Amino acid sequence: MSDLKDIPPHAIERLRGLRRAGHPGGIFTSDFSVNEFLLVRKAGFEPIGLCVGSCIYHVGIQYGSWNQNQELDVLSQAMYQARELAMARMREEATGMGADGIVGVELTVKRLEWDQHILEFMAIGTGVVHAKGHPGFKGPKEQPFTSDLSGQDFWTLLHAGYRPLEMVMGSCVYHVAHQGMMRSMRNVGQNTEMTNFSQALYDAREIAMERMQNEATEAGAEGVVGVDLHEGSHNWQPHVIEFFAVGTAVTPISTEQDASVIPDPQLVLSVNS
Amino acid sequence: MSWLGNILGGIFGAARGAQVGPSEADRQRSAEWQSALQARRLPSFVEARLAAAASGKVPWVATMSAAELGFARSKGIRPLAMVSGTCWYHYGQSWTHGHASGWHLALARLVQEARALGANAVVDVKMRKIELTIGDSMDFTLIGTAVRINGLPASEQPIVATVPALEFVRLLEADIVPVGIAIGAQFHYLSPGSDYSARRMEVGGSMFSNAVLPQLSQFWEGTRRAALKELHRDAQLQGNGVLAHTHLGQLMKIEQGNNVPPRFLGRHIVIGTVVQTERASGVPHDIRTVVDMRDELSPLANARATGHNAYPVSEEEGAI
Repeated sequence: MSDLKDIPPHAIERLRGLRRAGHPGGIFTSDFSVNEFLLVRKAGFEPIGLCVGSCIYHVGIQYGSWNQNQELDVLSQAMYQARELAMARMREEATGMGADGIVGVELTVKRLEWDQHILEFMAIGTGVVHAKGHPGFKGPKEQPFTSDLSGQDFWTLLHAGYRPLEMVMGSCVYHVAHQGMMRSMRNVGQNTEMTNFSQALYDAREIAMERMQNEATEAGAEGVVGVDLHEGSHNWQPHVIEFFAVGTAVTPISTEQDASVIPDPQLVLSVNS
Repeated sequence: MSWLGNILGGIFGAARGAQVGPSEADRQRSAEWQSALQARRLPSFVEARLAAAASGKVPWVATMSAAELGFARSKGIRPLAMVSGTCWYHYGQSWTHGHASGWHLALARLVQEARALGANAVVDVKMRKIELTIGDSMDFTLIGTAVRINGLPASEQPIVATVPALEFVRLLEADIVPVGIAIGAQFHYLSPGSDYSARRMEVGGSMFSNAVLPQLSQFWEGTRRAALKELHRDAQLQGNGVLAHTHLGQLMKIEQGNNVPPRFLGRHIVIGTVVQTERASGVPHDIRTVVDMRDELSPLANARATGHNAYPVSEEEGAI
């Protein structure tokens, strides 16, 4: 059996068809890919269970005035609150199974085809525990941490000397003003900036980012990684856009690592294309 | 799609008078398939092919790439033959449970072929379906490469690994054995009188306000959790962990006519790869970070397709 020298005995036993009668540690579920699973383990964590939370939400109706740039706060609130609820349900499940945190959280919003005012929000991720029971990886208030980083990014983040605290987000639904008739007339044949549009998009993005940043401050984070800014319209009238900022708030593992300790990535040129 | 014509011609051949009927050999073959499927065994010609492959009389067949072949051989893993399991399943009583049964039957057939080969494992197992709907039915197909591991006796119950050979070997080194496929499929109904109906009946200002629909939320979350619980149960028979790669959920409204509040149907299917592993056994490989110097799409950055086509991936359900 010299061929199998690199393969641990447990694995060979299982390949022979031998199985344990029971699983003392219980069985875990996760939505990791094989590579994610390996990297989460390499980072010193073990998956324990898939955590899901959902929220079906009736989104109120709000109209912006025709020629005003303004935030539609009813919609902003709806989009934020519903996501927050789905996340909270997910976190509850993680707490219930004793997880230190949730990795690879995916947040989705789905419009249900049979009602245009009802949105389904879902949060799903894999609850993990530190394999050696290290207590220092919990999120704020001793709650499980949450992170939308993949297993790969999770490993990389820990290696860079940071740990995730909490997924932070900010939402702003904005009504972009329509242009008045006179204004449009004046612009005919002109190359010119449409400042009210620029301003609207700027402002909305700014508000979303600011809200996310506030959440990070509250969580006691040093920074936010992997921030993504989404723009979307969930079946609202034209001129109504949601800006949604989401990222993972992080903090140094103990004290900030010196830059020289962080391993330099190797530059490679793949030739297997 | 001439092959499709052949299949359909075989089924509905009698209706098309002009066509030449199947030959005696065809008839015999199909009779043998029929009795074999009924008796849960393999037709003699399939057994003969597999026996020839097992003894090395015919060339081996593998879905592996050249790199994977080399890697697998370096660890003493030899490909034998491609094996498959197919089941065209009609869901009369339940679409959701039908999916679970269809996959389980296809799995049993795949394992049957692997056992006939004297294989230890089937790697690179992919879930496929054909884009063809006939009534309330669908095909469930699994294909993969049966392998034998040097020094191990033939397995009574060869393991089913949904990962390619490359990952299979990497997992084994890390003391993780992908052993099978687990399925959780559940559907529930929510009867009239839900908060949804109540909400929609209200008139005036409240339509304009935001509100959580707790009953519907709970119902839907419950359906999903029930499917996950079933996945858990199914996996427990095979190993001690699941990597669930496929999630499919639908929440549907069923109108009951005027003045009657609607009913809801929630159905959820989740499928995963079952693994057997010792807790906290560590990963023996060193991991180095690299930056690819390619400008065009890098094979390192390129997300590899899974090869499954049976369900749309969950990302398609809706962006953030």
